[in-house]
Amino acid sequence: MKRKPIFVALFAASLILLFATRPTQCFAQIDIHIHTATNAMESHIHGLTGEAFGDGQGRPDVGAQLYRRYCIGCHGPNGDGNGENAMWFDPTMGFAKPRDFTLGVFKCRSTPTGMLPTEDDLFDSITRGFVNTNMPSWRPLTEQERANLIAMVKAFSPRWQAEKPGAPITIPPETAPTVESILHGRELFDKIQCWKCHGPEGRGDGPSALTLTDTKGNPIRPYDFTTGERFKCGASNQDLYRIFMTGLDGTPMPSFSDNIKPEEAWDLVHFLRTLQVTLKTRELATFQTWLKGHPNTLKPIGQEAP
Amino acid sequence: MQARYVLLPVLFALTVTVASVGPAPAGTIEGKVTYTGTPPKMKPIDMSKEPTCAKEHNPPLLSENVVTGPGNALQYVVVYISAGEQSAQPPSEPVRYDQKGCMYVPHILAMHTNQPLQIYTDDPFTHNIHPMPKRNPEWNKSQPPGAAPIDTKWANPEFIEVKCNIHPWMHGYFAVLNTSHYAVTDNEGNYSLKGLPPGKYTVTAWQEQYSTQSQEVTVGPTGAASVNFVFKVTPYLY
Amino acid sequence: MLSEFVDGKRLAGRLLPSSFFMLSCMILSFIFIDAKPAYTLPLSHPGSVRAIPAFARKYGLPCSACHTAWPELNWFGQAFRDNGYQLMNDRDSPIWQNPSYFPITFRITPNWHRENTNHQAVDSIPGGGAGSVLVDGTVRQHGFDLSGFDLWTAGTLFKNISFSLLPSADSTGAFHFENAFVRFDNLFNSRWVNLRFGKFELDNLISEKRFLFLSANGGLYQLYHFVPVGDSNTFGLGDNQLGIELAGHSINSYTRYSVSLLSSNDGQVGLPANRGYDTYLTFSQAFQLGSLGLQRFGAYAYIGERPTFSQTTSGAPIAGTGIGNKSFYRVGFSGDFFFGKFEFLPLYMHGHDNVFLGTATPSNQPLLPGARAPSWNGGFVETHYYYSPQLVLTQRVELIRMAQQAFPSTPAAAGAPSIPDNQGNINAYSVGFRWYPIMFSRAGLAWHSEFSIVKSIGTLPLSGNGNGLPPLSPTAGVWSNSVFTGLDFDF
Repeated sequence: MKRKPIFVALFAASLILLFATRPTQCFAQIDIHIHTATNAMESHIHGLTGEAFGDGQGRPDVGAQLYRRYCIGCHGPNGDGNGENAMWFDPTMGFAKPRDFTLGVFKCRSTPTGMLPTEDDLFDSITRGFVNTNMPSWRPLTEQERANLIAMVKAFSPRWQAEKPGAPITIPPETAPTVESILHGRELFDKIQCWKCHGPEGRGDGPSALTLTDTKGNPIRPYDFTTGERFKCGASNQDLYRIFMTGLDGTPMPSFSDNIKPEEAWDLVHFLRTLQVTLKTRELATFQTWLKGHPNTLKPIGQEAP
Repeated sequence: MQARYVLLPVLFALTVTVASVGPAPAGTIEGKVTYTGTPPKMKPIDMSKEPTCAKEHNPPLLSENVVTGPGNALQYVVVYISAGEQSAQPPSEPVRYDQKGCMYVPHILAMHTNQPLQIYTDDPFTHNIHPMPKRNPEWNKSQPPGAAPIDTKWANPEFIEVKCNIHPWMHGYFAVLNTSHYAVTDNEGNYSLKGLPPGKYTVTAWQEQYSTQSQEVTVGPTGAASVNFVFKVTPYLY
Repeated sequence: MLSEFVDGKRLAGRLLPSSFFMLSCMILSFIFIDAKPAYTLPLSHPGSVRAIPAFARKYGLPCSACHTAWPELNWFGQAFRDNGYQLMNDRDSPIWQNPSYFPITFRITPNWHRENTNHQAVDSIPGGGAGSVLVDGTVRQHGFDLSGFDLWTAGTLFKNISFSLLPSADSTGAFHFENAFVRFDNLFNSRWVNLRFGKFELDNLISEKRFLFLSANGGLYQLYHFVPVGDSNTFGLGDNQLGIELAGHSINSYTRYSVSLLSSNDGQVGLPANRGYDTYLTFSQAFQLGSLGLQRFGAYAYIGERPTFSQTTSGAPIAGTGIGNKSFYRVGFSGDFFFGKFEFLPLYMHGHDNVFLGTATPSNQPLLPGARAPSWNGGFVETHYYYSPQLVLTQRVELIRMAQQAFPSTPAAAGAPSIPDNQGNINAYSVGFRWYPIMFSRAGLAWHSEFSIVKSIGTLPLSGNGNGLPPLSPTAGVWSNSVFTGLDFDF
C-alpha cells in the first residue's frame, strides 16, 4: 500500500498534462478542413475505388487519414499548399512550392490546357513523384492507398464536382527518329521561339528565363535540357510529347496543340532529345553522327528577323 | 364627319398597339469617373527583350496600371450594372483581343459571360496568352506568328488578369460580367450605359488598382440618370 | 498456459495496482483527447534512436510519413532507408541544402520507473550479521531516472553512398559505438546490390532497435537475447554485429533480401575473443491485401560459431585468440501484418547451440556425462493499435520453451549435473502506449508508458533488475515486472 501515493501523484500529473496541453495550437495544426460540401469524393483507378472519407468510421486507410499521415506537412490542412514546412521551400533556389489543390490546376495531365486531369494522371503523378522537388515517389504505398489519396486530392476543390476531366489527347504513334525529323524539329524550336525561355541550347537561359513566374507569383525556371534529368511529368518520349501538347498548367509553359500538328510534334520531341547532351539517347547519337558529316551547315537558333 | 369617326378608332387602335408593344428602353446612365489625390507615376516599359517592339515604341510606352486623363479623369475603369437587371442571353457577336506591338489592345476588354472571345496576334514573334482566373479554368496557350485566333469564352463573372510569360510587361484584363450594360471609361473618364428599362439599379465601377465602388440609381421611363465615381488614388502601386 | 500467468492471488496482487494505473492513463487519455477522426491530440533500456528529425527537416515531410509511430518505420520509410537514405528524386545531395539542415539527431528519455523481482536470495538480517540466513525475498527499486542517450548521424556522403554513425551512452554517459558503417547503394545501377561495411543492425524484419518498448523488462525481445542456463554463447540476434552485408530490394521494397558475413564477437570491438565468422540470411516478401494494407512475411537464419577456449601463455588466456569453435544457429520466420488500424508482428524462432557451447566445456576436454546440445523454441506476437498517427497502443506476448536442456533432469551418472526440464523457460508480457503530442518535422516528442512482466523458471529474467544472484530454487518461477513512464524526445 506504500505504492498508492506514487500512483496517485503520477495519475494527477498525467491529468494535468493532458488538460494543460489540450487547448494549445499543437492540436489545431493537424486538423483537416475540407471546403467542398460533400464528403463523398471517390476515385476510380485501375479497377479500384478510392475514398476520401469512407463511411465516417475513421478507417485508417481512407484518403483523409492517409493525407494526414503523409501529405499534410507540405500541402497543409486546407490542401492549399500551405503546410507548416511549405514556407521553407525557396523557389529562388529551385524548390517549387507544394501544389494548391483547391484551385484544381495541375501540371502533369494528359488533357488539354484548362481542363482537369484524369484520375490516372494524378495517380501517375504521386507514384512517380516530381524530380528535383520535395515531392517524393509514393510507390511504396499500396495502389488502394494511392487511389484513396487521389480521392482526397479531389475533395479539396469544388471544380471536381462542377466539371468532368477533359478527354485525354490522342498521341499518334511515334515517327522514326531520323535526321530529317530532328532537323525539322529544330526548325520548329526556332520558329515557335521555344528558345525565348529555354535558350538556344536548351540551357534554360533564354532572354525571358529570368523573369518567369508561376501563377502564384513565385519565380520559376524553365527546364534545362542539358542536365538530362527526368522531366517533371515523366521521362519517356510520350511524356515529352504530352508536356508541350497539353502545357503545364499553373506555370509559364503553354500548350502548343493549336500550333503544332501531331506528326510535327514527334519531330520536336526528337530534336529536344538532342538538347539533352548528357543523356545517351538514340536521337542524340543520330544527330551527332550527322553533325560530324555536315559541319557548320546549320543556322544558329534564335536569330530573330529584324 | 364620317372620316373622323373612322380615323379616330384607327388612330386609337394604332396607339393601343404601339402602347402594348412599348417603346424600346431608352433609359441611360452616364457619368464621369475621376480621382482625388496624387496618382502614381507610370513607368516607361523596357521592351529590350523584344528588339522589334523596342524599336516600334520609341519613346517607350508607359505601363497602364493607372491611366489618367485631363480633368483628373480615370481611364480604363469598367462601369457596369451589378444589380437590378433581368438576366439576358449573352450576345453572340464575338469580342476581340489583340496582341500588338507587345501590348494588349485594348488594355481592358469587357464582355458578357459566355460571350465568344477571339484572341488575335499581330506580332511577328511568339506570344503565349496566359489568363490567370480564380473562378474560371486557367489555361495557357502559345500563339506563334501567323497563328489562328483563339476562340474561347468565360462562364463565370470575374476580372481576369492576363499576362504573357515571354514578355513579362504585357498586362491586361478580361472583365467578364453578368450584364450586357457595361462600358470602359475613355481618356476623359466618360462612360455611358444605354438601353436600360426603368427601374432601380446598382452601378459598380472597377479599377484594377483601386478595386470597386457601387452606387444605386433610379432610372425613369425615358429618363437619363447620372452617376459619377471618384476614386481615391495613392502615389504608389503597392 | 494461462494458468502460468494466473498464479493465484499473488499475480493479482502484483498486477492490479500497476495495470490500474496503466489502464486509467489510457482511458483518461481517450476521454480527454478530442476523438474526431481527423483530429487527435492527442529504460532504462538504452534508447536506440532510430528516428532522425533531420530527415524530416531536409525533405519537409512530417515524422508520420516515414514512421508508423517513431521509431518504428512504415514501408515508405523502409524504402527510403533501403535506398541509402535517399528519396531518389535528384534532391538528395546535402551539398546545396538549406544550411540549417545538419544530419545529426539525439535522443534520450527521462523517466520514472519501478522494477520488482521476487525469488531473490536476500539476507534475512540486512548486513548479514549473526544468525542471518539467505531467504527467498523480493527486491524492488523505483525512482526518477534517465535512459541511455543516442547521438545519431546518418545520411549520404555522396550520391549512392550512405553512412551511419551512432555513438551511444548509457545513462551515466559511458559511450560505445552502437553502429558505424558505410553503405554503397545501388551498385551497378541496381537496387538489388547494396554493400554495407562496419557495425550495423542485422536486417531483422522485426527490429528491436526501432520498436516501441523502453522498460527494463519490456525493452527487449527475450528471444533475441536468450541463451540457456550454463551456456557460454554470447550471441544476441538483437545485438548489432560487425561485418559486411550484401542486401537488395525491389523498387518499392516489397521484396527484400540480405546476406551478411559477421565476426563471431557479437559486435564487440577490439577483437576480444575469437577468430570465427558467422553468417546471416534473411528474405522477406510483401503483398497488398486490398484495403487492409500491406502484409509482409519473412524468414531468417543465423548460423554462427563461438570459441570454447583460447590460446594461453603461462596459463593466462591471450586476448583475441579464441579457438575450438563450435557452431550454433537461430532460424525462424516472422511477419508484419496490417488489419485496419491493427498491426501484428508475429515471430517464431528455433535456437540450437552446440553441446560444448551449451555446457560451457572447452572442446579439447571431455564432456560431462549426459551432456546434450540445448535447443529451444520460442515466439512472440506483438500488436500495435494506431488510434491515429499520434497515438499508438502496444502489447506483446512472448514465450520461450526449452526443447532440450544441456543436461537431463535426472543425472546421467552419479555426480553428473542435471537441469530441470523447464529451467530457463520464459513467459513475457508487455503493454503500453505512446502518445505524440506534436507531429512536427522539426523534432519528436512522445509520452511513453509501459508495463512489462516476465517470468523465468529458475533464473533471473533477462534485464530483470534483481540483485543478480540465481534464485534459491532452480524450479521457482521468478517474476520481474517493470512500470515505466517517461518523455521520449529526439531532435
